[in-house]
Amino acid sequence: MSAPFVALSIVAVILTGTIAFALFSVRRLKMDPQQYLVGGRSFSTLLLWVLLAGEIYTSFTFLGAAGWVYGFGAPAYYILAYQACAYIIGYFALPAIWRIAKEHNLLTAPDFFVNRYNSRALGVAIGALQFFMLVPYVALQLSGLQHLLTIAGYGVVGSAWSVAGAFVAIAFFVFTAGLRGTAWASIVKDALVLAAVAFAGIAIPIAFFGSPAAMFDQLIRVHPQMLLLPSGAAPKGAIWYVTTVLLTSIGFFMGPGSFNAVYSARSESVVRRNTALMPIYGLMLLLLVFAGYAALLVVPGLKGTHVDESFLLLIQHYYPPWVLGLVTGAGALAALVPASALLLAAAGVFAKNVLGDGFRVATSDAHRTWATRLLVLVVAAMALALWIAEPATIGELLLIYYNGITQFAPGVFAALIWPRANAWGVAAGLATGLAIAIYLTSTTISLWSINPGFVALAANVVVMVVVSLATSKPRSAQA
Amino acid sequence: MRSLRYVLAGVPIVALTFAVPFVNSIEPRVFGLPFLLFWISAWIALTPAFIWAIGRLERRW
Repeated sequence: MSAPFVALSIVAVILTGTIAFALFSVRRLKMDPQQYLVGGRSFSTLLLWVLLAGEIYTSFTFLGAAGWVYGFGAPAYYILAYQACAYIIGYFALPAIWRIAKEHNLLTAPDFFVNRYNSRALGVAIGALQFFMLVPYVALQLSGLQHLLTIAGYGVVGSAWSVAGAFVAIAFFVFTAGLRGTAWASIVKDALVLAAVAFAGIAIPIAFFGSPAAMFDQLIRVHPQMLLLPSGAAPKGAIWYVTTVLLTSIGFFMGPGSFNAVYSARSESVVRRNTALMPIYGLMLLLLVFAGYAALLVVPGLKGTHVDESFLLLIQHYYPPWVLGLVTGAGALAALVPASALLLAAAGVFAKNVLGDGFRVATSDAHRTWATRLLVLVVAAMALALWIAEPATIGELLLIYYNGITQFAPGVFAALIWPRANAWGVAAGLATGLAIAIYLTSTTISLWSINPGFVALAANVVVMVVVSLATSKPRSAQA
Repeated sequence: MRSLRYVLAGVPIVALTFAVPFVNSIEPRVFGLPFLLFWISAWIALTPAFIWAIGRLERRW
């Protein structure tokens, strides 16, 4: 048997096995919008933990963290740091968000704005916006999947069709199983990813250098600059690092998928416990840092998007095909499981907030479930089209998504702590923040390397406060 | 007690953001890690303890 055949077969077995396991787990479920989008608000601490880990540790984490270490060195540490900061913020914010959602039976992220700011129009606008932001984020998972399958096929077997095939399978899986299916698939995904990352981060440094410490000895001799942040205002320097960690940790839970995950918890304390437990999982990223550095020493000289393939190429060169198959299979799940959560979130906001609240279409439970399900397939088709037309590097796309998604944060936090905020203020702030973020990321203007999203966020807050104060006091939120 | 909670929340965040430019060095190495990487990893490992302590203060667990 040829090497690509062995590796790709293992990937295929992992994907079909995971889908079959998840479908089997949800086979008796009756689908209504509550069950389909937020798992009937019944998830335990453990199931929420795997679901959050399943959504957060995407193929970007898998490939991009090691790729950033390989390409940039220490600036990549921001990926470790921002998650820990995000959970601290989450400890204070997420239980309150859960409580409001439970009390008012909220289904989607825009529902939170509709409820707090008493404005259906705001919900329609945010729903449409989030929908169009999610499509590239789903497409991003496809480009991750493509890297993985190209490597598993040893560059011999064409990958575009297999990417499309795996993705269509996932779209139909989400169509059938909803959020609970994603949670069950996350269990398999988390276990495999953990094993793959432990292999890449521990076994590889030991095999090539004797120990991780010896690997760092060699790095200090050969690439000491990769172990330090560039100083001050240099590109990806200290100022960039600080502003990026702050920005991304504020934006961490603002993605529509995260709202669905929080809503799915059985109780407030399930949410709270998870914020304390999640950073432990984040330590896994340290192993990916090791993997990235090992690749830098063992397979040097990669450029462009190949940087994201660094440690997989190392495995491809030095390990048997079945090892490569297991690692890329885990990576493929890391692309497809988050993609399934994102498909669901995008379909949910469009069905509920745009079609339902905006156009009064599909408002009964049965119709809404079907509208959401069909939209899952529509979003999948859109993402696939985008991926074919506009492939860019993984890390850059993620930063653009985060710059945008973080602009929802002022509206969310103000809803929790500043009663004077109103729909006009939130909408104006959001529009300002998005415009600035998009403008700054599309040009090369740089103020001391401050992350452009951070500038946009500051402007967003100022505009939100000024416009809220200048317009009428909000009617009291729906009680 | 309220302010102590926010101090506990602020310490890891400051350690992982504003403090980082001041620990941007390879030496001293700890467990073989360059100091910067050790610092960030150690604070991530400590974060659950800080969140747990805040929860204790609020009598959540």
